[in-house]
Amino acid sequence: MRPRYIDADKCTACGLCTKYCPRHLVDQYNEGLAITRPIHIDYAQAVPATYFIDPEACLYLKHGTCQICVCTCQSKAIDFSQKPEEKELHIGAVIMAPGFGRVPDATLAKYSYGQHPDVMTSLEFERLLCASGPFEGEVKCLSDRRHPKRIAFIQCVGSRDLGCNNGYCSSVCCMYAIKEAMVAKEHDPEVEITIYYMDMRTQGKGFDAAQKKAESMGIKFVRARVADVMPWDKNLKLTYSTMDGKHSFEPYDIVVLSVGLDAPADAKNLGEIAGFALNEYDFCKTETFAPLLTTKPGVFVAGAFQGPKDIPESVTQSSAAAGLAAGLIVKDRGKALVHKTYPKEQKTGTDEEVRIGVFVCHCGINISSVVDVASVEQYTEGMEGVVYHAQSLYSCSQDAQEVLKAKIKEHNLNRVVIAACSPRTHEPLFQETLKDAGLNRCLFEMVNIRDHCSWVHANEPAAATQKSMDLVRMGIAKARHIQPLPEQTVPVTAKALVLGGGVAGLTAALTLAEQGFHTTVVEKEDTLGGHLQHLSFTLQGDTVSTVLGNLTDTVKKNKKIEVLTNTELTQVNGFVGNFSSVLTTTKGKKTTETTIDHGVIIIATGGREHRPEVVLGNPVEYSEAIVTQRELEKRLSGKGKNLAPKSVVMVQCAGSRGDDLNYCSKVCCNHAVKNALKIKALDPASQVIVLYRDMRTYGFAEDSYRQAREQGVVFIPYTMDNKPKFKSSGKKTSVTFYDPILRDEVTMNPEVLALSVGIVAEGTEEISKLLKVPVNEDKFFLEAHVKLRPVELPVSGVYVCGLAHSPKPVEEIIVQAQAAAAKASIPLCKGFVSVEPTISCVDKETCIGCGLCESLCPYQSIRITKDENGKRKAETITASCKGCGICASHCPVFAISMGGFTDEQINAQITAFGAK
Amino acid sequence: MGQAKDKKSGTVMVVGGGIAGVQAALDLTELGYYVYLVEKSAAIGGAMAQLDKTFPTNDCSL
Amino acid sequence: MSQKDFNPKILGFLCNWCCYAAADSAGVSRYQYPPNLRTIRVMCTGRLDPAFVLRGFAEGADAIFSGG
Repeated sequence: MRPRYIDADKCTACGLCTKYCPRHLVDQYNEGLAITRPIHIDYAQAVPATYFIDPEACLYLKHGTCQICVCTCQSKAIDFSQKPEEKELHIGAVIMAPGFGRVPDATLAKYSYGQHPDVMTSLEFERLLCASGPFEGEVKCLSDRRHPKRIAFIQCVGSRDLGCNNGYCSSVCCMYAIKEAMVAKEHDPEVEITIYYMDMRTQGKGFDAAQKKAESMGIKFVRARVADVMPWDKNLKLTYSTMDGKHSFEPYDIVVLSVGLDAPADAKNLGEIAGFALNEYDFCKTETFAPLLTTKPGVFVAGAFQGPKDIPESVTQSSAAAGLAAGLIVKDRGKALVHKTYPKEQKTGTDEEVRIGVFVCHCGINISSVVDVASVEQYTEGMEGVVYHAQSLYSCSQDAQEVLKAKIKEHNLNRVVIAACSPRTHEPLFQETLKDAGLNRCLFEMVNIRDHCSWVHANEPAAATQKSMDLVRMGIAKARHIQPLPEQTVPVTAKALVLGGGVAGLTAALTLAEQGFHTTVVEKEDTLGGHLQHLSFTLQGDTVSTVLGNLTDTVKKNKKIEVLTNTELTQVNGFVGNFSSVLTTTKGKKTTETTIDHGVIIIATGGREHRPEVVLGNPVEYSEAIVTQRELEKRLSGKGKNLAPKSVVMVQCAGSRGDDLNYCSKVCCNHAVKNALKIKALDPASQVIVLYRDMRTYGFAEDSYRQAREQGVVFIPYTMDNKPKFKSSGKKTSVTFYDPILRDEVTMNPEVLALSVGIVAEGTEEISKLLKVPVNEDKFFLEAHVKLRPVELPVSGVYVCGLAHSPKPVEEIIVQAQAAAAKASIPLCKGFVSVEPTISCVDKETCIGCGLCESLCPYQSIRITKDENGKRKAETITASCKGCGICASHCPVFAISMGGFTDEQINAQITAFGAK
Repeated sequence: MGQAKDKKSGTVMVVGGGIAGVQAALDLTELGYYVYLVEKSAAIGGAMAQLDKTFPTNDCSL
Repeated sequence: MSQKDFNPKILGFLCNWCCYAAADSAGVSRYQYPPNLRTIRVMCTGRLDPAFVLRGFAEGADAIFSGG
């Protein structure tokens, strides 16, 4: 452990030390585009929110002089006596998540990177766009600070390039380039932006739509290879060649290099220390059907180190890896956890005298340099209910907590108002102190006089002081009405229900069972395996039937898993922790119903192959000569002679990406390459032509795409303005397409026309109605948060994985299933769901049972039930209420109250707003 | 945090404090394990903390 | 009263998850804006009962701001 030279318990992140530090340091967080000091914090929201000293740049640590920071720091946090420490830990499992590395500068040199300041990497450009970046979000040329008129993005820099030994596709650059281009366009709608690409690989959920939006904003996409970028007067000259062999050049003010994700710099070292193997590109070596296992047992991998990937996939892998690690050491669950204890809570009755303590914070000089803190404090003197008021230098510091506790006891306070920073960041800290002092944590109100006052009215101290007084007055008014709220928990039935017996459902069930939870798998078909039963081999060469056989056997043998085939979910009642579901099994003419209780639901109902009847405007009749890729795969993996057709034309995006379906199905390009390689392996003389829009062989699949080209598979792009045409008469099929290299129409008569059709959602709408979970416009389930909660649905206790979420290859399905199982096991292993006290509560006396709240609640967390007299009454489902208050604001008889935000409290605030 | 009671059992080490490492650590604690989150720089957050916005919703990434 | 001297009193209801958070980051980024707003934090602007708006005007607000 390297020292920070700053005591984290004392540092209040006020920033005074950075202000006084005399030495400059290049700001790595801002990609070297800004200047900071050796004593600094990377960014305001950094965790831990403790400054640190760069020992390589600090004058004292390097040369033994200075120490200005020591006398500047008011909380005496600077500690030069800290030494590096070594720790020895004994651990049960390891998760490797070291991220990715940088493409070496040498690879960027041919684009004049390093020679001209206006050629920059995408990460540098990202910092330029950011409000906390070097120019506070203003996009300027680094050379002379002028606003750029023309910006170019060059894709695949350091990716899909054997020249720098990065043969793979980095999978994220197309997306971030589109994002950065759009944000730059928002900054300045006049700026002209061109993205030079080989294939636009926007294969993720909703990604194609974002690219369309970028196009509609006027961002140009040009399929070309960029030869070089050279300084040209004040500008840059970008030379490129298009498919038709033409060379052109254009002037630009800024050229952004969309750099790929390299393996982390210390990958080899990590591999040696931990004893796991790397792949040829120095990423972690894993298998298709065990994507998160390293070659060393007990060591798991997650994130970009497993292969280049975006944020949602990294988050998914992390949850999955956590679930796998948890399953490995399940017998030690909870053994090492440290639980905190609190003193018994004192009772605060409604009729008890209100005794408010007000603490006004200086936050170093963050507040007090603008707001007259002493006046604000004095202002509270004599206010109704206020029995104590004080100032503190840093109310969040450890010693201030001790003072707070002492004052609560000394003055017998039963409400605390702190005027300081944001409750969003600091409320939990103070509530913890209240609990330590034996008070209910809800007897607390925070007034934000820093973020909402001193920081934003820095030049108007009088007005800021007045605003602080007003806000404090309003806070105290609310505090007079706050009441203790009980800590609520809801018990959980430690069982899971998994819908779907495909690879997603089975993997999820196994992951849950390994953690010790009883799981019921429901499959509507007769057999387990789903989509995977129709596949024979993978791009990586695995035999699917063997793997699937092993998986189904393991599931069937597991005593914790109950499998119900020919069964469907027909009814669901309850909420997180306490679901009760009716399952209907149909065998022949006989149907049986069973009801099971469970705490969570995982939706893994899959999807099915899309079979469009019209492809790119051509009517299609499927036959032996016109097949889907799946049917071609079946033929290729059969027995006997002449498996490989003599000639094949494959058509990508058949019925996808705006043809019939609006989205990209993510798997079809890999499927085509897989089949093409198989044909070439069976018969190298066979002719294979692939007509495509963008080859989306992202990640390491790019290697197979390159291999296919090397083996003579011909890839020819088409556009939606010039679609391939096909006809069939009898056994003969003819395909006509435009060849951009020949610059002419070509007609062929292939033995087989293989259509790369997409994947559609199946049965999602029915489940959506049953469980009240949303689906998107393409009928796939819509996750709770696209980036950070990718396997959770908005209804608590319901999770999604596999094709029901969106089309994706099997490797990603397995990870998603493991992640959904890991997330689902959180409430199961806790045994209860804790509820924030800020939820709705119905006064049954007043409620007239109109049902408006039930129909409006976005989380299905309030329902109408019958009371003992048979009268309709609303009831909050505490376990899933999110506290939004829509029910309370719409209740016609004011029967609904929100914990911590009652009508009484808000009205008191409004009245206090008016009072002077 | 604090110190783990029994050092051997029920603990997991997560190497890397980027979004992947942080998510894994959070999930593991929720699942009942003590986590050592190891990060070589002074703050967790990794590359995601450097991003201005995220694709495709263009939400702020911090 | 001339347009220039008009110093409105604005009462704002801010959603904890978006607008309140945005106001926090405006502070972190030191954006400067006029000091006329007084805020009430709610967990969602769905909590905003029309009665609150009317009461705000009755209490002398020149404008009500709903940020969600």
